[in-house]
Amino acid sequence: MSKESRSTGVRRREFLKVLGAGSAAVATAACVPEKTGKLIPYFISPDETVPGVSTYYATSCRECAAGCGLIVETRDGRAIKLEGNPDHPVNHGALCARGQAALQGLYNPDRFRGPMVRQNGAWKSATWDEALALVGQHLGGTNAGGIFLNQHESGSFPGFVDQWLGAFGMRPHLSVDDEVDHASIEAHRRAYGVAWPRFAFSEAHLIVSIGADFLEGWGASVPQQLEFADARAKLESAPRFVYVGARRSLTGLNADQWIPCTPGSELAIANFLAGRGAAPDERVTGVRPEVLDALRTELQAAKPSLVLSGVTTSDALEVATAVAALNQSLGNVGVTIRPADAYTAFDGISPMSDVVDAVEQMRAGQVPVAFIRGTNPAHWLPKSLDFAGALSKVPFRVSFSPVPDETTELCDVVLPDYHSLESWGDAQAARGVIGVQQPTMDAVFANTRPTADVLIALAKKAPAAAGRFAAPDYRTWLISRFPGGETAFTAALARGMAPGTIAARPASAAAATQMRRAPALQTTQGDFFLVVYPSSTLGTGRGANKPWLLELPDPVQKIVWSSWVELHPDTAARLGIDRGDIVEVKTASGSVRAPAMPFLGVRPDTIAIALGYGHRARGSVPAFDPKASANPVQWGYGRYARGLGINASDLLPAGTDATGQVVLTATRATIAKTGDHETLPSTEGSARQHGRGIAQALTVEELQRGAGPEREEHELVGDASHAFLPGLRSPVAADAQGILGAPTAADHGKDKGLYSADDPRKMSSRRWAMTIDLARCTGCSACVTACYAENNIPTVGAPWQNATVFADQKPGLNVTRGREMNWLRLERYYEGAPDGHFGEEFETRFIPMLCQHCGNAPCEPVCPVYATYHSPDGLNVQVYNRCVGTRYCSNGCPYKVRYFNWFGYGEPDRKQYAFPEPLNWQLNPDVTVRGKGVMEKCTMCVQRIREAENRATLEQRELVPDGFTTSCAAACPSRAITFGDAADPAWTVTQLAQDRRAYHVFEELNTFTAVVYLKKVIHPASEAQTAPAGAAASPDTTRRPAGAR
Amino acid sequence: MTKRRKWTAIPGLAALAVGAVLLSAYSGASSSQGSSPVQPIRFPHTVHVQKLGMNCLYCHYTANKSMDPGLPAVSTCMGCHTIIGPDRPASDLGPKRHSVEIEKLQKYAASNKPIPWIRIHKVPEYVHFPHMRHVNAGVTCQTCHGQIQNMPQVYQAESLNMGWCVNCHVSGYTEQQGLEAAGYPLADTAIIAATALAAPGATHAPVDGAPAGPPSGPSAARKYARYDCANCHY
Repeated sequence: MSKESRSTGVRRREFLKVLGAGSAAVATAACVPEKTGKLIPYFISPDETVPGVSTYYATSCRECAAGCGLIVETRDGRAIKLEGNPDHPVNHGALCARGQAALQGLYNPDRFRGPMVRQNGAWKSATWDEALALVGQHLGGTNAGGIFLNQHESGSFPGFVDQWLGAFGMRPHLSVDDEVDHASIEAHRRAYGVAWPRFAFSEAHLIVSIGADFLEGWGASVPQQLEFADARAKLESAPRFVYVGARRSLTGLNADQWIPCTPGSELAIANFLAGRGAAPDERVTGVRPEVLDALRTELQAAKPSLVLSGVTTSDALEVATAVAALNQSLGNVGVTIRPADAYTAFDGISPMSDVVDAVEQMRAGQVPVAFIRGTNPAHWLPKSLDFAGALSKVPFRVSFSPVPDETTELCDVVLPDYHSLESWGDAQAARGVIGVQQPTMDAVFANTRPTADVLIALAKKAPAAAGRFAAPDYRTWLISRFPGGETAFTAALARGMAPGTIAARPASAAAATQMRRAPALQTTQGDFFLVVYPSSTLGTGRGANKPWLLELPDPVQKIVWSSWVELHPDTAARLGIDRGDIVEVKTASGSVRAPAMPFLGVRPDTIAIALGYGHRARGSVPAFDPKASANPVQWGYGRYARGLGINASDLLPAGTDATGQVVLTATRATIAKTGDHETLPSTEGSARQHGRGIAQALTVEELQRGAGPEREEHELVGDASHAFLPGLRSPVAADAQGILGAPTAADHGKDKGLYSADDPRKMSSRRWAMTIDLARCTGCSACVTACYAENNIPTVGAPWQNATVFADQKPGLNVTRGREMNWLRLERYYEGAPDGHFGEEFETRFIPMLCQHCGNAPCEPVCPVYATYHSPDGLNVQVYNRCVGTRYCSNGCPYKVRYFNWFGYGEPDRKQYAFPEPLNWQLNPDVTVRGKGVMEKCTMCVQRIREAENRATLEQRELVPDGFTTSCAAACPSRAITFGDAADPAWTVTQLAQDRRAYHVFEELNTFTAVVYLKKVIHPASEAQTAPAGAAASPDTTRRPAGAR
Repeated sequence: MTKRRKWTAIPGLAALAVGAVLLSAYSGASSSQGSSPVQPIRFPHTVHVQKLGMNCLYCHYTANKSMDPGLPAVSTCMGCHTIIGPDRPASDLGPKRHSVEIEKLQKYAASNKPIPWIRIHKVPEYVHFPHMRHVNAGVTCQTCHGQIQNMPQVYQAESLNMGWCVNCHVSGYTEQQGLEAAGYPLADTAIIAATALAAPGATHAPVDGAPAGPPSGPSAARKYARYDCANCHY
């Protein structure tokens, strides 16, 4: 026997072993039923929730000073989506990208799990009792010089902190906000008596912004954008918008005309516009005097107008004051500038001079104890001011930060605060309106505590202070002071607001601190003016620990996960610098190295760098390991932010303007090629349309003349009908299963099933569609983040999310390789300036690009497994469980809106997992989390459509026209996106699709899209108004076809 | 013999394995139909539904208003079982008896712990199954879950495979079918349909002494459900 078995080569025993293993493998692979698990019921089910049905809470946003109203969608006890509160007087239902990303602050995986104390230089976890006892000890002595820095928030908390500090013999706290424009606040106070008036853009006939980026963080950006979009939507009677500044920001790109003045010359221009003297010399301003003359003439003729200033030079206050005087002389105050409707959330911000003074007191050793909550001065104050050195002179430092930021790393104790979505509070939403802030869920990390409650606990332990705090917690304290008491408070929670006023702390005027005044820009050394500006997505750095915001392409440069240095293409050519070349930028205060990004919208004598990046840990933290069961505390602002890009404030001198604000446009710099190069992670393929007519526009004259011919930049090819098809004549029902399936058969081949109008299910009676008004769209990209939040879209740019084989730890590498997953992307195209030289006018078009849900979709017939098809209600559907990942559909798509899961971003056991605990708590339970190898794309929020249908059926009614909308449309602060049923005239979208400006992108392909764009309307400057310096450009350069660059 | 020759059987076995995978994928063998795990508490649906006549919605309280059918909280169980303890005196329900299961329940309640039920019916996560749409359309619970009222230990009666779902969506569904699935003798369906079905959201467990009503038959109208992919997969 043994001989025989030898002859066969396999012994029986071994054969059986292998057979057994093989069968086991087959059984494992094939016969494992759908993984079940446990079903854990409630112990006591909460009264107000229905499992599987969302509960909504109204609260206030705390991501910036403005204090917008939020509606927080929670499901089974977890916050899953933020939207604007439609009734709120500030944001009227809209919400910016940063506001939406608050959820990733709430669920940030790098939050402190509990208190920590530093012992002999090393951090260790502590219990609350230990940590509070330690703080209590230090509060026992004399604290007279103690300092409390708090991120500015309106409402009762500032008064509460002052009361607490008073009980311990300390002076009032500093309400710090490093992102607001202190010079404008000071000028507004002096001229209009309020910190931040409402700007009525719609009332103006001409808008002039001197460096004021009102769409991206300068003041109350959401309401300003709402009003600006309303103004632009007036089309023929819309105000012309002129932007004056050395760098064309997102706001500047929305302008009809850019006057690129030299940095530091804004005061001369403002004074000239106010009617003082002759036009300043071109050698001073860099602008031909005729241009400024024309602007002044236009301003005098166009009344009322609106002039805004937001410069960041050392004479910022002087410019703001001059502009306020100009507005007064033009009669704009009360018409386009409304102090009576002021945004009161900006009241009570401490002047920056106080903050800088506090830093100097720390350095002088006059501060026995420092408390820091919510703000990170070690990152945003320039290195030249040496905040770290000053703080090190403070014997005892307490941080309330929930995340391991740079400032906290310098402290002795961390008492991690709740997130604003977990805690009680209030905000002065608007004049006479209190916005309430309520916990929308239980604490994500149970061992954190709200700072207000911690302060009460500390007071109760101190004999001297105990008597002053009778309330057991902050909520009780709030209610006891709320106008109308508990009844009113409870009633206010439902709407998120109540009438009333919280006495703001008296606004101390900025002390004129001439000592620290930054020297005039012209006197500094260097070849280029350096413009440093807050990022519109990350701010000065607060947003950098949220992957949604890191993956959100910068609205101007479309760059993700990286810093960049902007310089004009002319400059780049002169210095031989290409896009992505690493350059070293040097000033008297420091130097940084970052990739170069040629940009038309910056003067050739200027370079510009955004703030927000450059978070670093002081100590060494081992690289984050996604596969490790536990990583150490992620100092340096968390795993996502640490080591990313450079901090532009390292370049800034310590000088301030007259309000004490650190001057961002403060110095000249030199720039040098280093010889290194890296590919900038960017989502854009080309900055030019190449005659494709993607983002189309009309001039006002063309609009007035009538629809007119196709614009010349749209070079239609092929045999398409060039006339816009009114409405949406998609052949959906006929094509999908019938006529084209078997054109010759009498009954068209087969039963059309659901696609037949006679089908009892009546599915084909609806036609979901969308219109996007490009006259309103500002390119702010709030819709992009809204889409990420709603649809469980993974972010892919973290360094460890790259391939496993040949792993490269570069951040954003996946995006460089075209693997970003932004279902809705905001494309930005330049028109004009074909050679990219300075002095040629150029215009910018923004266009949100998403799945067009073609009625005649090129992606559908190529799918070998029928994973994408056209639904009877007009959606182009992607069925994840059918998809096998051939990517034929993506090849077929002319809009390039299909995205492929190259890695298992949605699979928890892979290193590319995009939702590490507890970020996965945010996932929308109504949307499938996609696995590896699956194609995905915009679904037009089909889950919302189904939810609305289910609700309507439950309530035994039909769908209410405009009764629900997609996530992008709900967020849009320009109200550019309208969604609805284009088969029913009662929906707004049906009318908008018939608009005279309507067009389909790539209409010539006969794709019969369900997304209709409305052309942008531009208000070009007249010949006299532009008169560009240098080359004699024709007046209609803006309308010249864009040449290939 | 040599190691090398020993492994020559591997390719053949691998081919076998691939074949088996493909076969099983198309045979429906991957369904967990018939699975009947032992639960932490042997909850008798038979007693609660058949003997006591409790409506399904008493415990599965959101089946007619949410995607999620709802599971009874421990407090719901204890609503009755605070009174109905483990020791039952002799009565018309039966002789004196001691119930270990009620004891277990009370232990969970006393220790403030929910009961870790083992899930039996589960559709994959890329399937969205709205319970309320089905329940309110007159699809009886038993149509999908089998005659739970007769199961001393619950098992998965149907395959829950896509073909099984789509079959009903395409060819339609009548109330008569639902009543039959629920286990009514055909003769009773007319009476029950006229009464129990009147209220939307009612579920249909056979109860003794159903009230008399006008003897109209159950609605013969065939209801059709959508069956395009995006109805459930998104």
